[in-house]
Amino acid sequence: MSNNLIDFQKMSKKRIHIMYSFLVIFVAIIIIQLFLLQIINYNTYKNAALKSQLKQYQIPAERGLIYIEGGNGSQVPIVLDQKLYTLYADPSFIKSNAAANKIAKKIAPIFNANPGQLTSLMETKNTRYIVLGNKLSQAQSQKILSYQIPGIGTQGQDYRVYPEGQLAAQVLGFVNQNGVGEYGIEQAMNKQLAGTPGQVKAVTDASGVPLAANSKNVEIAPKNGDSLVLTLNLGMQSQLEKILAKEYTATKSQGLSAIVMNPYNGHIKAMANFPTFNPANYQDVSNQKIFQNAAVDDDIEPGSTMKIMTTAAALNLGVIKPNTSFYDPAQWTIDGFTIHDIKIDGGAREQNIQSILALSLNTGATWMLMQMGGGQIDRQGINNWYEYMVNHYRLGQVTGIEQGYEAPGFVPPPNMADPSIDLRYANTSFGQGVQLTALQMAAADSSILNGGTYYKPTLIAKTIYPNGQTKVNPPKVLERNVVKPVVGQEMVPLMEGVVKAYLYGGFSFMNFPSNYIVGGKTGTAQLAQPGGGYYKNIFNGTYAGFVGGKNVQYVVVVYNIKPAVPGYAGSYGAQPVFADIVHMLINQGYVTPR
Amino acid sequence: MDLGRKHQPDYWIIVICSILLAVGVVIIYAIGPALKVTTNLSGSYYTSRQILAIVLSIVAFTLTAKIPISKWRQYSKWLVVFALGATFLAIILPVNPAYPAHRWVRFGSISFQSIELVKFAAVIWLAGFFARAIKNNTIKDFGKTYKPLLILLLITGVLIAGVQSDLGSTAVLIAMMVIMAFVAGFPLKRIFALGGVIVILLILAIIIFPYRRARIESYLHPSSNCSSASGYQACQALIAVGSGGIFGLGLGHSVQAYGYEPEASNDSIFAIYAETFGFIGSVALVGLFLALFNRFKNVAENIDDEFSQLLIIGIIAWLGTQTLINVGAMVGILPLKGITLPFVSYGGTSIVFSAGAVGLVFQLSGYTKRNSLSQNDNNKRRIAYEGGTYGRRIGRSRNPDLSNSQELEEK
Repeated sequence: MSNNLIDFQKMSKKRIHIMYSFLVIFVAIIIIQLFLLQIINYNTYKNAALKSQLKQYQIPAERGLIYIEGGNGSQVPIVLDQKLYTLYADPSFIKSNAAANKIAKKIAPIFNANPGQLTSLMETKNTRYIVLGNKLSQAQSQKILSYQIPGIGTQGQDYRVYPEGQLAAQVLGFVNQNGVGEYGIEQAMNKQLAGTPGQVKAVTDASGVPLAANSKNVEIAPKNGDSLVLTLNLGMQSQLEKILAKEYTATKSQGLSAIVMNPYNGHIKAMANFPTFNPANYQDVSNQKIFQNAAVDDDIEPGSTMKIMTTAAALNLGVIKPNTSFYDPAQWTIDGFTIHDIKIDGGAREQNIQSILALSLNTGATWMLMQMGGGQIDRQGINNWYEYMVNHYRLGQVTGIEQGYEAPGFVPPPNMADPSIDLRYANTSFGQGVQLTALQMAAADSSILNGGTYYKPTLIAKTIYPNGQTKVNPPKVLERNVVKPVVGQEMVPLMEGVVKAYLYGGFSFMNFPSNYIVGGKTGTAQLAQPGGGYYKNIFNGTYAGFVGGKNVQYVVVVYNIKPAVPGYAGSYGAQPVFADIVHMLINQGYVTPR
Repeated sequence: MDLGRKHQPDYWIIVICSILLAVGVVIIYAIGPALKVTTNLSGSYYTSRQILAIVLSIVAFTLTAKIPISKWRQYSKWLVVFALGATFLAIILPVNPAYPAHRWVRFGSISFQSIELVKFAAVIWLAGFFARAIKNNTIKDFGKTYKPLLILLLITGVLIAGVQSDLGSTAVLIAMMVIMAFVAGFPLKRIFALGGVIVILLILAIIIFPYRRARIESYLHPSSNCSSASGYQACQALIAVGSGGIFGLGLGHSVQAYGYEPEASNDSIFAIYAETFGFIGSVALVGLFLALFNRFKNVAENIDDEFSQLLIIGIIAWLGTQTLINVGAMVGILPLKGITLPFVSYGGTSIVFSAGAVGLVFQLSGYTKRNSLSQNDNNKRRIAYEGGTYGRRIGRSRNPDLSNSQELEEK
């Protein structure tokens, strides 16, 4: 046995021990580290794991559809839903340029995309979500998903479709890219239409697909939105829109709105404005003002159409009778200002209630306000008239119609610190210094003409729940004793008289078949100038009227903003529009004759 | 070379390795659905291939356990030639675009990783190299021992770390060389000098290849780098291990395997195992490896033949380093290396050659001088022997030289 081998035996034993000790120490370090990771810091890693593994998804609820009345009790869809798909990639799954290229070549032809562009999108750094394509059809989406490419997915999104084109666009509004309704009924009824999205909380694989049967999974089913059947009538609405488009040009208008309302339940049968927009391409609209339903959202000083309300209030207070006559001095001096009529008809002379309306005498309206007090403009008269405007006719507050951005209008408070409050109130009796939307006027006049019940104006006839059940929207009474029923009956012939007076005055378009009743009132409103006073040559034309057979059947209100007509804006700008609408209603058989 | 009389080998080695192999198959089977999601190949594909690998490994084990050690030593030169040839083939042959490193030799549908053959050949050849140096007393000779080692190191550095870009296996080979040299009685000064050279090479490798720098960085700041490509795997491994808690999520409930932790069935299988079986299971698995190496060490300590001893030490260095590097990376105390966990990770080549190495140790465990494989065993046997029921005297070498040394020691 050589020495070196003996040496080796001695030494190797020792060194094997050293080596093995290192191994044991290292294993001990690993066990300590396992202890730290799995026991001491367990919660940290558990949470880190859940943070990436437990994903929360919304299951989108289906948005409700919108129908309108199609005649004979049928319902016609006016807003439908279509599911389209967003194609996305999670670039962390796409490891190389070659892989991205391969995927791009495979999927690009399916939705006519540029493969090069897709490749570069898929190589986007530092993101886990990049959109590759929008608005893919279901077939395209399914084809792409069938390839089961890791990191490529699609996401369904609902888009609104409008089978009737731009019909009632401003009433409907639209749904923005985030699925939120904007303007019109989509905004006002957003919550009900949208429903409640469901939720999935699930432990998923890295690409986000939930793992089956994990105890941490939670699923809440979505509640789909309700569908709505509007009170609008398809035929009436489309005819109205045609009329407005035509008259907008004919009267060189800067904005034309009209409402056809059923005075007995507050149902809006037709409501439109011109200009309008196409809700399918709402993105293309540059002037957002056009999204608004001006008939609801814009309040103006209405002018003499207000006299319907003044007369009805005075009649209801019993301070005048339909046949009361009085001496018209042709002008009043109030607070140092002179009130006179826009057109001077023969100066001071005997007048009556019918002629106040037919000739649109501002002095007459002021006189009626005086009668509401102690025979002149006083506190009692102002308070009485304010009470009628605000609490009977519900002016100065929103009606609550299912529309976005409804304007409340404006009624000057009687206690406002204004030295010329008397003059201000005298003005309100003929529609200046008070602001109303077309809808407020239609609703208030409806409450007079139906005999004193103020119905909340509404666009919703029925609600269809996701389970298929329908609920009829009952008329909602907001005010019961606007005027006595007899006042409504007295107002009909007075307003008919105005129509007759215009017919005899040469407005041949105001000639309606004798088995129908048609009444109304024009308004030529001055526009307030910033800094006080009124413009000299710019007017808004308004018209408030009704059509019926035995009874009043529809209340029609027209607002024509700054028409350029050779005469009074009310008579020449708004009245012809009213006449067109009433002729249409009669000719199309919407009105039952006497 | 005379190993003396053969006695009963250490069957615990087979038991432990079988448990490790079974753990691997069970985990791979359990994450089958996840593998299907991440790789589009069915779980049974992986399980059946792993079982096939185990069948092949039994063949390899039988061959190495049966063919006498002396033959392996005799033909180790040819094994080295064969291994180098395979390495060159791997480098020359076109690569699979999915795994662009030049590490695979493919013949049609059969493919294997040349590095596993290199480790197997190297461990036998090195044992012979050092045994010869001991016998000729040239272990401290610069020209005859130190220089060839340096050259070998250089070749390893160029071919494995450089061309094949396999730093993990390079580490295993270097550990093998250094530990065998250490046990062979290499002067400590030279080992430290060798260590210095290795550190310099390592730094060079890190500087030259930017992805390694990124790995080091992500190793230093694992949790801050979960979103970066280089730190993602390490971070997800920590999440997998940590979220396992004390008892684990249970078999078949791994979530990290579903695309979060890359290489769930191969390099990262320990993380998935730790997530599944928790702290208790992880300690048990690590303990199982330690027990295996303990059996190996006992054989090495009690064998009189220096070649055999060095061979076992080399195999411990090989499988031990590989285990520590793999597990160390999964628990975040070492940087990530693309290296498998012996017997557990999916992958045929690693299993077959590891089993081959274990077969060699198993064969040698039948030739220990005292059957002192564990204190417990020892006591039992001593009692049995003293009681006279143990029929033959075991383990005593008949090699006169070694007998002498034994006696000298006992004096």
